[in-house]
Amino acid sequence: MSETEPKTRPSHVLEDPSAKVVARVYANAFLNAAGEAGQAEALEEFTSFVDDVLRPNPEFARLLTTEVTGREEKLGLIDRVVAPTGSERFTNFLRVLARHERLELLPLILGETWLEHEKRAGRQRVIVRTAAALDEKRLDGIRERLAAALPFEPILIPEVDETLVGGLVVQIGDTVHDGSLRTRIRDLKDRLRERYLNEIQSGRDRFSHPEGN
Amino acid sequence: MKFKADEIASVIQKEIEDFKGQIETAEVGRVVEVGDGIARAVGLSSAMAGEMVEFSNGTNGLCFNMEENSVGIIILGDYLNIQEGDEIKTTGQLLSVPVGEAMIGRVIDPLGNPLDGKGPIVTSERRPVETPAPGVADRQPVKEPLQTGIKAVDAMTPIGRGQRELIIGDRKTGKTAVALDTIINQKGGDVICIYVACGQRSASVAQVVEALEANGAMDYSIVISATASDPAPLQYIAPYAGAAIAEYFMYQGKHTLCVYDDLTKQAQAYRQLSLLMRRPPGREAYPGDVFYCHSRLLERAAKLNAELGGGSMTALPIIETLEGEVSAYIPTNVISITDGQIYLEPDLFFAGVRPAINVGISVSRVGGNAQTKAMKKVAGSLRLDLAAFRELEAFAQLGTELDAATQRQLDRGYRMVELLKQPQYEPLHFADQVISIYAGTKGYFDTVPVNQVARAEKEMLQFMADEKSEVRNAIIESKELSSETEDALKAALAEFRDRFKAEATGGLVGETAETA
Repeated sequence: MSETEPKTRPSHVLEDPSAKVVARVYANAFLNAAGEAGQAEALEEFTSFVDDVLRPNPEFARLLTTEVTGREEKLGLIDRVVAPTGSERFTNFLRVLARHERLELLPLILGETWLEHEKRAGRQRVIVRTAAALDEKRLDGIRERLAAALPFEPILIPEVDETLVGGLVVQIGDTVHDGSLRTRIRDLKDRLRERYLNEIQSGRDRFSHPEGN
Repeated sequence: MKFKADEIASVIQKEIEDFKGQIETAEVGRVVEVGDGIARAVGLSSAMAGEMVEFSNGTNGLCFNMEENSVGIIILGDYLNIQEGDEIKTTGQLLSVPVGEAMIGRVIDPLGNPLDGKGPIVTSERRPVETPAPGVADRQPVKEPLQTGIKAVDAMTPIGRGQRELIIGDRKTGKTAVALDTIINQKGGDVICIYVACGQRSASVAQVVEALEANGAMDYSIVISATASDPAPLQYIAPYAGAAIAEYFMYQGKHTLCVYDDLTKQAQAYRQLSLLMRRPPGREAYPGDVFYCHSRLLERAAKLNAELGGGSMTALPIIETLEGEVSAYIPTNVISITDGQIYLEPDLFFAGVRPAINVGISVSRVGGNAQTKAMKKVAGSLRLDLAAFRELEAFAQLGTELDAATQRQLDRGYRMVELLKQPQYEPLHFADQVISIYAGTKGYFDTVPVNQVARAEKEMLQFMADEKSEVRNAIIESKELSSETEDALKAALAEFRDRFKAEATGGLVGETAETA
C-alpha cells in the first residue's frame, strides 16, 4: 500500500463507516487465516495484488467489482487469473469475497489489514503535523519521545500544515494533542476578549445606578 | 467615559505574561454528512451523549445520536458553512447557558447570546441546559398562590407556585395573552418571569417584548427567543435553556415563572431533528421519546423544600390545538404531565368572552390548596353555578316559559359571564377579584343591565378603593373573609348598588329620550 499516493480529495470524503466495519471483519479473518508466522508474507501478496495487478489493469479491476459480471463469472476469472500465480490461501480469500459479493471492498480491506497487522505487532500510526517540514533528525527525536510516552511503537506520518504557525500537533487515532501556536494564539485571544468585556462592563457599572437601571 | 490606555495596556501585558500555553487534548472526527441542522461524523470515538462539540468554523454542536460507526450531531448555529470533511472536536462539556442576575431584563437566544443590542451580558456562572429535576425529598407540596390577575383563572383554576398549568387552545384564542397577563401581574412582587418563545414569528416576539416593556414587566423578566426562522436545534433546546435560567434563581430560594410558548412547535422541531437523524417515527411521525422530551422539561418545575431555600419554578406550557382537537398526540401527552389545564375556546373568544376560558373542562389539580381563603370562600360554588347556568341557557333557548326562580338564575348567570370578562394587560389585584366575584355571586349586580356590568364593576372597584379602603385592606392583610369583613363588604356593596342604580337609570332615561 502506498502512502505517497497523490490526494485528489480528502481520504475521509465519501468514506462509508459501515463499509469500513465490514472491511475490518474480513481483514481480521485474513490475518487469522495466515497465522502468526505467515502474516507478513500474506500481507505482501495482498498488497502486491492491489498495487501490481489491479492498479495497472483498471479494466480487470472493474470486471471484478462490477455487478454486470455474475458471481460465477467472477469465480471463473479468479480461477483463471489468480489461481495459477497466487498462493492458495489468497485465491481462496478472493473466492470468499466473490461469493459474498464483497470484492469492491478490496482496497478498503487492504487498508484495514495493514492497520490490524501493525496493531498486532504493537505499532500504531501517529500523525505529526507541523508548520514546516521536519528533517529526519527531528523526526527521530520525536519518535523516541513518543515511544517512551506511549504503550506502543509509533509509526510517524509527518504532515505539513502551514496554518499552524508553529509548534506541533500529534494525532493518535481520534485523539489530538494540540500544542500548535495557532491554538495558543486563539486561546490568548479568547482570554483577552473575555477580560476586556469584563473591563468594559465594570466601567459601565460604575456609571449606572447602584440598584440597577 | 474614556478608557485609560495605560490601565488596559497593563492588564493586557499581565495577561500575556501569565499566559502559559498548554497542550490542548481533544477527540476529533470528520463530518461525513450535513443536513438541515444536523451533521453526521466519523471518529469522535469517545464522545458522550449530550456532549458539546466544536466544528472547525467555531460553530457548536451537540452529540445527539451515538451509533456504532458514526455520531449524529445537532448543529447549534449556522449550519450552512459546515462542509463534508470539516474537523469536529469534542469539548468535554455539556451544553450550558450563562445564568445570573445580569440576564434579567434581557432578550437572549437559547445559547444565552443577547439579541436586544444592549451590550454583552457579563455573568461568570453557567448552568447545564439539561439537569435532573428535583427529587421527591427535595420538594414540598404546592401551597403558595401565584396570582395571575385574571379573575376566571384565579377563581376557578388557581395556580400555585411550583405548579405546571397547561394553557391549551386553538390558534388566536388568547393563549399568549393569558401568560402575558400573568407575567405583568407579577409587577412589584417577588417572581422572576421567563418567557420562552419557541417557533414563534419574530414579529410576535417583538410584540411580546414591547408589551412587557410598556407595562414595566421587563424589569423582572427574561425573554428567550428561538423564532420560526431559527434552526430546529435552537427551537428544541430553547425551553430547556429557559428552565436552566429559572433553576438558577429557584435554587437561590427565589420564585420564578416560566412560560413555554409553545411546546407544540418544540415537539415539531424535535420531530424534524429525529427524522433527519433517522430515528424511527411513531404516532404522527413523532419519535418515541417525545413524551420524555416534555416530561423531563416540566418535571423541573417544583416547589423546593425549606432546606433548599423554598424557591419555586411555576411552569405555564402552551399547546396549540388544531380545530379544538385535544385528543391529538402532543396535547394528550402534555395534559397528562401537567397539574391541570386552562382550555381556551374559539367560540367563546368570538362571542366576546375574553379570556375565552372554558370553565367546564379547565381544571387545576393542585392549585386549590394554594388559593387564598378569601378567594376560596367566594369562588367555591362559582364553577358549579356557571355549569348550571350553561345548561339552563341551552334549555331557555327552546323558548319555554320559565318560572321566576329559573329566570333569576339565568339573569345572574349572564351577569357572571359578563363579570368574568377582562381586558388584556389589565390584571386585577386579588382583593379586587374577591370583591368583584362576591358582588356578582351575591346578586349585587342583578339590577344592572347586562351590557353595563363591566362599567358597574369598574366603578364599584373604584368606589371600594377610594371610599371603603378599610374593607379592601382588611382582605389584603388577612387574606380571608372573616364575618366582620363580610358584613362591612355587604354594607359597602349595598351602598354602591343604591348609588349606581340612580346613575344608571339617569343614563338610561337619557338614552331613551335620544332614541325617541
